[in-house]
Amino acid sequence: MPEPIRTILEKHSREPDELIPILQDVQKEYGYISAESVKGISKYLRISENTIYGVSSFYAQFRFTEPGRHSVKVCLGTACHVRGGATLLEMLERGLGVHCGETTEDKRFGLERVACLGCCALSPVVQIDKEIFSRMTVNRLTEQLKEYE
Amino acid sequence: MTREKKLKVTIDSRELEVRPNTTILQAARESDVYIPSLCTLEHLPSYGACRLCIVEVDGLRGYPTSCTTPVEEGMVIRTDTSELRSLRQEILKLLLSEHPASCLFCEEHDECKEFQGTIRKVGVTTGCRYCPNDARCELQEITEKVGLTETSYPVYYRGFPVEKYDPFYDRDYNLCILCGRCVRVCNSVRLNGTLSFKQRGKLTTIGPAFDRTHLEAGCEFCGACVSVCPTGVLSTKVSKWYGKPDSQVATTCVYCPVGCRLELQLKNNEVIDALPDYDSPVDQGLLCVKGRFAIPEYILSPERLGTPSRLTPVGYEVISWDQAIDEAAGRLRGTKPEESLVVVSPQLSNEDLFVAQQFTRQVLGSDSMISSVMVDLGNDLVPFLELAAGGSTFDTIEGARGILTVGFDSTYGYSPVGTRIKKAAQEGALLVTLGACDSNLDMLSETAFQMDHSRWAEFLGVLADYQARGGGKGKLKARKEWTDDIERISRAFSDSSTNILVVGPEAIFSRARREVFEKARVLRDKLGWKIIIAHPYTNLLGMLAMGAFPGVKPGECLREGTSVTLSFPLIDLTKRKKVVYFIGEGRFDMLPDCDYLIYQNGLPPATSRQPDLILPASLFTESSGTTTNGEGRVLKIEKATEPFMDAKSDWWILSRIAEKMNKGKLKYKDVAGVQTVIKRQVKGFYDSRRRIGFARINAEETTKWLKGAPNQEWEGSGAGKNPSYRGIPLARVVAGMKVVDEWVNTSLLSEKEAR
Repeated sequence: MPEPIRTILEKHSREPDELIPILQDVQKEYGYISAESVKGISKYLRISENTIYGVSSFYAQFRFTEPGRHSVKVCLGTACHVRGGATLLEMLERGLGVHCGETTEDKRFGLERVACLGCCALSPVVQIDKEIFSRMTVNRLTEQLKEYE
Repeated sequence: MTREKKLKVTIDSRELEVRPNTTILQAARESDVYIPSLCTLEHLPSYGACRLCIVEVDGLRGYPTSCTTPVEEGMVIRTDTSELRSLRQEILKLLLSEHPASCLFCEEHDECKEFQGTIRKVGVTTGCRYCPNDARCELQEITEKVGLTETSYPVYYRGFPVEKYDPFYDRDYNLCILCGRCVRVCNSVRLNGTLSFKQRGKLTTIGPAFDRTHLEAGCEFCGACVSVCPTGVLSTKVSKWYGKPDSQVATTCVYCPVGCRLELQLKNNEVIDALPDYDSPVDQGLLCVKGRFAIPEYILSPERLGTPSRLTPVGYEVISWDQAIDEAAGRLRGTKPEESLVVVSPQLSNEDLFVAQQFTRQVLGSDSMISSVMVDLGNDLVPFLELAAGGSTFDTIEGARGILTVGFDSTYGYSPVGTRIKKAAQEGALLVTLGACDSNLDMLSETAFQMDHSRWAEFLGVLADYQARGGGKGKLKARKEWTDDIERISRAFSDSSTNILVVGPEAIFSRARREVFEKARVLRDKLGWKIIIAHPYTNLLGMLAMGAFPGVKPGECLREGTSVTLSFPLIDLTKRKKVVYFIGEGRFDMLPDCDYLIYQNGLPPATSRQPDLILPASLFTESSGTTTNGEGRVLKIEKATEPFMDAKSDWWILSRIAEKMNKGKLKYKDVAGVQTVIKRQVKGFYDSRRRIGFARINAEETTKWLKGAPNQEWEGSGAGKNPSYRGIPLARVVAGMKVVDEWVNTSLLSEKEAR
């Protein structure tokens, strides 16, 4: 078992109620829940790996793929959707070769969708890392992505 | 116990008295009031998923689900109002909006069955064949009962590919209604935790973590989920398109000494499936993969031997039974006792074993009769038999407060024992596992000790020693790394009123077994531990009782309260024999050099030595009898179908050969005749009220009795690892068992490498 997960586990008791707090700590530490972490938690809490996955996949807050170096979030709120957000997402999925919620093989980008970023007047909106790009088009997005390594 | 006070309730204006501590649904069912439900099932915890069991209760708001609402005194319940009926129809419509419904609502629905079979020269399917569960589907039944004849919602097809990559059963989650029965049976009854709900809302699916296959996720392939599925999602590969079975026969599984009760499903005089019986006291319906899935393919194997045949220089010649019996009698007549050898299988029935030992002793006048258990255990046989005959019942686990397992894993065998252990551990019993590699019980154990086989006996010894001295007094003599652990667990074990030691196949087939047996005996005799030996020899206790060991007479070992010394005569396998007679055994590593080999079994052996005479024997689904399980219970084997082609029961063949040889006593015409003689010679054997009790076997004096035994593969793929029936590995004839065996072997290998 890698060291950080052991330290995380030792902070909690071996009661099944501790599952979600542990998962939250693991996600905070690693950015995602790996198969290896699940195995460690399973042994510690004596719950099967499958049950742990079942519980954690219920919550949107947990992810099971390693995040990329840069997160790309496409807004699919009502306004962005109407003004072409879905097209942007589709283009990204095809261009990066991943589905929403996944990370490219080279770990450069992690693709996600969000419900609303709160700037509907600027739709369609894409957020890359912490920066918001407004009135996005397919061409501008393609150019923009080149700036990230 | 005081009698529970009944509660008075009113259901549909009938005043009823019902048991307390039940749900409204249970109470209604017990009073013969029908409430539709898809997710409830006896033995499973209530869940409230399908919402079809809603009722009206005076004083309760809305429409509570009857499966989750406990009955209370004076409740006024209505189960069938027009309001409820229309609500149920609406709920069912919503439920069916994600379930292909062509078999439910179709203009041709009534005529469909009639015209499905067409008279044409080529096989043409008319009618829909989307789901293997047609006519045994609970959804169809409920739809009819709820009175739904059409749906107003479009059907959303989820479009999952059918999952066929795991052995034994297929999964078509497009038909899933998410009732959660499979998840509950997997987690609450089998305590296995392979299945869980994944994601949520409309994305919800069922399966193991991370898109793993069931094999990877630790599935036991117990088939419990397949049995409880109300729709056609889960279906047995072998029998999925057979349709509704014609009838069923209750019998006992003979693949291992647990002796689970099976409900064999029959169609067209063939065994197509085997289902568990949750009310069986021995196994509680907790079948393992072998009993659940490995029977039809073995019985219906295309390799089955169907006619007697004789080896000629140009190959096998089919002969009649008369000729075959003549031939066998001719060969056996005049053979000196030491020139013949009989090999019996521990998987034969009590009756077959009894006739086999009579045949050897009275017809051949010899006592050279061996079996796989003798060869596998070699000179450790007597201590092994001593432990096995003094074993405890499986239900002692339920009351045990401390459980120690040695080399035991119940993933693909001994499930009724393994699941009971898991349950006990979950309910607070102390579980400690000792093994050379991972076990499925490690998950629930307090401590899982992993060490090489050679150190197990030492570990047990230190534990016994420490306990015998009552802990603290004197210094613990143990390896440094064990000191803390042993002290801790020993203290826990000495606090417990009942401790159980479960010795698994890993220990029985390890080089250090003799010492392990000895320590087990110390724990039992000195410290009052109970012992369960999880060995693979099905009717081992039957062999002891029937006297199917050389030098052991029928009934000799059954005098409870006395002690008996087993002295086996020396059997020399290095000497060439004139005739060797294999009765229901297919393991040829036991075969000494011989002039003539008679082979009586269900399937041909996989070997280069061709038998000279083949006598086709019927298997356990094809003849009646009894078997003795590991607890000493004599359990019935029921004939379910006629034997394959010309195959005959083992006792029948032996009796006919004996008759031919004019050796008086074996004139059995039916199995009842055999049982009458057994009753006379082995007193109280068929007394079904109690299990048979054994005399104390003297394990101190053991003679070396076997010469020239085949070299045993230690710590490897011995008899315990790759299960077989009548000496034929199940993996040879059952496709899924091959996958399982390969999986076990590769995962063991990778574990070894990792170490």
